[in-house]
Amino acid sequence: MSDVFAQVRKLVVLVLVVGYALFFLLRAAGDPAYVIAGMNATPEQITAVREQYGLDQPLWRQFVVYLGGLAQLDFGVSITTGDPAMALVLDRLPHTLQLALMAMVLSVAVAIPLGAWLGARPNAPLRRAVSGVVFVLQGSPGFVLALLMIQLFAVELLWLPSVGYDAGDWRTWVLPTMSLAMFSAPSLTRVIAANVVEAMHEDYVRTARAFGASFSVILWRHALPNALLGGAALAGVQFAGLLSGSAVIESIYGWPGLGSLLLESVSTFDFPVVQAEVFVIALLVFAVNASTDLLFKRLDPRLRERS
Amino acid sequence: MKSAILHPGGGQRALEALRQGARIPELAIGGSVFVVLLLLAVFGDLVQTHDPVKSDLTRRFLGIGEGGHWLGTDHMGRDVWSRVVAGLQWSMACAFAANIINLLIGTALGLAAAEREGTLRNFARQVTDALQAFPSLIAAIVVVVLVGQGFVPLVLTLGLLSWPIFMRVTHAEASSLYTRDYVKAANIAGVGRVRIMLGHIVPGLRASLVSVFALHFAALLIAESALSFLGIGAPLGVPTWGNMLAESRQYVLIEPRLLLVPASAIILTVIAANLFGDGLGIHARRGRRAGDR
Repeated sequence: MSDVFAQVRKLVVLVLVVGYALFFLLRAAGDPAYVIAGMNATPEQITAVREQYGLDQPLWRQFVVYLGGLAQLDFGVSITTGDPAMALVLDRLPHTLQLALMAMVLSVAVAIPLGAWLGARPNAPLRRAVSGVVFVLQGSPGFVLALLMIQLFAVELLWLPSVGYDAGDWRTWVLPTMSLAMFSAPSLTRVIAANVVEAMHEDYVRTARAFGASFSVILWRHALPNALLGGAALAGVQFAGLLSGSAVIESIYGWPGLGSLLLESVSTFDFPVVQAEVFVIALLVFAVNASTDLLFKRLDPRLRERS
Repeated sequence: MKSAILHPGGGQRALEALRQGARIPELAIGGSVFVVLLLLAVFGDLVQTHDPVKSDLTRRFLGIGEGGHWLGTDHMGRDVWSRVVAGLQWSMACAFAANIINLLIGTALGLAAAEREGTLRNFARQVTDALQAFPSLIAAIVVVVLVGQGFVPLVLTLGLLSWPIFMRVTHAEASSLYTRDYVKAANIAGVGRVRIMLGHIVPGLRASLVSVFALHFAALLIAESALSFLGIGAPLGVPTWGNMLAESRQYVLIEPRLLLVPASAIILTVIAANLFGDGLGIHARRGRRAGDR
């Protein structure tokens, strides 16, 4: 129960920090009324905007009103479309979650067997070469790899459409998913491989070997499950990385998710949408981190005993 | 390490350090490539064969080596080699400056948090955790748009947002150093808090911080090029790798070279910095093991 309490406290800190940062960043960037009213606004228009958004009130009062809205998840209406900002964000959210989920599934599907294979005999020549490739992929910027994949699969080989999203055509999903998976699969593979290498030297593996268990039983039944636990503990970090990645990947492929919404709304200075979006992203990251944290305390007996 | 400490002759010490480093392949390869790139950036103006922003529409899409252009020309007839070098200078300067800011903020906060427990410092740790958990590129996108485009805004954005890694490393290592006997002894002997920090703690952090600096350099370089690629980092028209990649997208069918050249430049630089950082990390761990004996 104290775990849950700690998470709630973290959530409160997070909401306050993000809310505070958003509020003051917007105002530090200059008079928001000018930004909202646009470059060519007349003084009357600016005064009107100031009144409409309550910017003529004292700062502390604005902050209280803002916090009140935040508590009700109300960030006002979009400056460009006039729709509620939160509704716009929630409209795009499923697309990003779908992309992130597909990328995550692909990453796991590649990283587990590859990591186990690499970690089982890390010094075999072929595996060293593959490890080198994985290292390069992990270091390379995901958006550059995405551009290279478009060049290879869409322009040179003509296998897949290069950009554009079509909810009914799975072929438009393939390259975005592969591109986003590049943000997580290489690091996940390396973590699993390193954990398998370590697990292969543990006492329980030595004991299993002494009892005559075959190599594949030792690898898949004993070493890998322990290695996976370490890999899965990174889920929160990986998810944050995928959300970062989705900002670039979605804009490259025209995927209608949170990432492309963020770029649209920052380029039009649509601050209500930006605020709602940053807030939703912070909550998402928090939810994933908190649930993996709590889940792992249950799954891993060693963590349970320590706390 | 021992012999270097016992005979601290300047030249000999450097030589010994180099010999040690050469035994770690990551450090040898990553370090030498990184140093070459650094020299290229510093003396970039001398190796550029053309003005990187001067366009000549009569010389568009020249191939590799054609007309004295080592890597050809782009869609506006600008020399690709000179632009790649200019991009290297921009990226290196940007990542380096932001990294210094990160190092200063992160180390100061980490030292403060490790030195003494307290509600305020606890809160600082939680804020750091929250900032670190938040997707870094998304934070950078929001902030850079508010701060504006250009070199200084970009450096400030990355500098003020991505220091948590330094805070975490400093906090973890400094906390463990504070439990060492020699630090406790200095404390009992009445040495001041500031002197303990600067004389006993900070020197012990150096090896790890240098390694994190190199690894983080790669991360900052990627962030910078991603922001420029999205059109919100470097101003349009400035020759940076991100801008070159963004411009290349319209010509993928005619001239894939315009994509492949900056893409390889980014990947090479980032991998070199990563190898260098990994190598320095291995070096630091070996040094620590030797010190423990």
